[in-house]
Amino acid sequence: MEIISSWVGNIPDLAVPFALAALGLIVTERAGVLALGAEGLMLVGALFGVGGYLLFDSTGIALLLAMLAASGVSILFAVMVLVLRINQVIAGLALVFFCQGLTALLGILFGWASHPVSGFEAWTLWPLSELPIVGRLFIQNPVVYLTPLIFFAVAIYLNHSMSGLKLRAVGENPQAADAAGIPVLTYRFAAILAGAALIGLAGAYISVLSTKMWIEDMTGGRGWIAVALVIFARWSPWRAFAGAILFGSIEALIPQLAAAGVRLPQYFVFMTPYVVTLAVMIWVALPKRDQNKPDQKNQPDALGEPFIREERR
Amino acid sequence: MKTVMKTFAAGMLGVYALVNVTQPTYADDEGLTIQGPPKIAMLYISPRNDGGWTQAFDEARQKLEVQLGQKIQFVENVPESASAIRPVVERLIQRGSNIIIGTAFGYSDTFKDLAAKYPHVAFLNGSGTTNSKNLLSFYGRTYESQYLCGMAAGAVSKTGKLGFVAANPFGQVNWTINAYELGAQQINPKATVTVIYTGAWNDPIKERAATMALIDQGADVIGQHVDSPTPQIVAQERGVYGTGYHRDMREFAPKATVCSSVWVWDRFLAVELKKIMAGHWKPLPQGALLSMQQGGTDIACCSSAVPPADVTKIMAMRTELMEGKKQIYEGPMSDGKGVVQIPVGAVLPDDKLWKMEWFVKGVITQQ
Repeated sequence: MEIISSWVGNIPDLAVPFALAALGLIVTERAGVLALGAEGLMLVGALFGVGGYLLFDSTGIALLLAMLAASGVSILFAVMVLVLRINQVIAGLALVFFCQGLTALLGILFGWASHPVSGFEAWTLWPLSELPIVGRLFIQNPVVYLTPLIFFAVAIYLNHSMSGLKLRAVGENPQAADAAGIPVLTYRFAAILAGAALIGLAGAYISVLSTKMWIEDMTGGRGWIAVALVIFARWSPWRAFAGAILFGSIEALIPQLAAAGVRLPQYFVFMTPYVVTLAVMIWVALPKRDQNKPDQKNQPDALGEPFIREERR
Repeated sequence: MKTVMKTFAAGMLGVYALVNVTQPTYADDEGLTIQGPPKIAMLYISPRNDGGWTQAFDEARQKLEVQLGQKIQFVENVPESASAIRPVVERLIQRGSNIIIGTAFGYSDTFKDLAAKYPHVAFLNGSGTTNSKNLLSFYGRTYESQYLCGMAAGAVSKTGKLGFVAANPFGQVNWTINAYELGAQQINPKATVTVIYTGAWNDPIKERAATMALIDQGADVIGQHVDSPTPQIVAQERGVYGTGYHRDMREFAPKATVCSSVWVWDRFLAVELKKIMAGHWKPLPQGALLSMQQGGTDIACCSSAVPPADVTKIMAMRTELMEGKKQIYEGPMSDGKGVVQIPVGAVLPDDKLWKMEWFVKGVITQQ
């Protein structure tokens, strides 16, 4: 019982970065822009989160600064793919490498590396925190409680608001959207910036609220897992939320089993998150779904395609 | 005609001088004598203020500059690939450096090639694995300092359950784990060490999850053989103790960290560099695995949480190690299953240390 309770209590810390990064990717990709740069933008968020805290001594400002910084860097990506119409896969990969180098350099220049920050105090939601087994789910930092609300807001926006419908239209059929008078590039530009802000928040969650310091390349490939999560979720926010909890649960379970002295082959344990990623991809690829039903659709139709007005497809 | 002859003679002299310079000056029995005034340069794998491994080397560099009375050049962020290492080293040599010090396992092969190409330059490499007539790899017997940290951990633990966050199940990680447990048993014979391997040297997210899990399972002191101070920071948050690695981690967790295993490379390098400068340098063919007596590692101990009587015991043991009177891996020693690993009267040889895959009684791992 004790082990399950502490396992459950550690899940949010590991699941929230996956969830927020995947949500940011969904916002961008629903507008038809393939965003592979999550790993890099998470690093930018992580660095500027810690930097914001060290400069302003406020966790709230730190998180905001992280979101702004990630959005700022993503302008570069937006210009590359929207204005210059560079291949989105290549631009996304280039963004990751650029951000890895940039954050490593700035971390040293500004002296933000290896400086502990204090983050938020945990909020105890009494009396839920007294529940058996799941009680520790309700002793978490405020961003954990905020995450489902952010998901709720984004899901409502995408599915039930006029602006959200237009954003999806841009991602499905930009020519038709353009003919209907929707400013395609403006929507895509906004989607890239908004998505980057969420991904930056995911990075700042790791550095400011979870590990509480900046270390070069600290996201350790979690941005890539978020990219896989979005495919698994078939671009639906709530499925991404579930997927993030699944991955967070696995990451939280591994050390709990080790601490309890359960014997498992070490290298097999190290590879489980990646095996699960692969399994999920295969599971998504296998069934032949009816692509005309919105719920069964695999991806936005115009994903990865640059928009050129008056070009015939 | 005379002038022609003169020029020719001067030319011949020049060629002769050139041949003389490029000819390796070591012979099997003579050792290496570097040419010209000694000029030292260091290659760092990461930034000099990384808070751990490289920062310890940079602190050593500053002490060495004072002791040797000369500036030591350094190049930061040299990745572990030949295409990155070669140009840096060759430029340093062109500019007159004749003693090159590396700081990474991944420099091993390239340093071996460079040492063959530049036989008149002395090469040293921290945590390297290759050696030759002018290349010496060195590393510390970290089990000695971690043994002392284990004693401190045993002294401050109330439950007798210690946790240990480790990187990968390699020999040089496993030897610190066993030593940690053996040290803890000196103070509390019933102490156990539960180990979690994160599979990465520097992944603060996994280190945090591992430390949380250990504390959840009742561990009240957290030891570590990973690069980031995360385990110490988590220990402080959760109100338990910890022991650090690389440098004095009280910098990050002043309340939690009771002892740290630290690098003191200057103690070894000062001696070795003077040997090189004196000429006829003969590096050990098997590399230098440094005991505390030879420099390399030491402890930053102890915080006020450790009872004074135990501090005395730890410091007495430190003195024994410093004087070379104590061997940690000395027989008879058996593993947790009762298999004899070191016979009576024997000391575990270095090749078996590097391949250590067994654990003493009291170590709980997934292995």
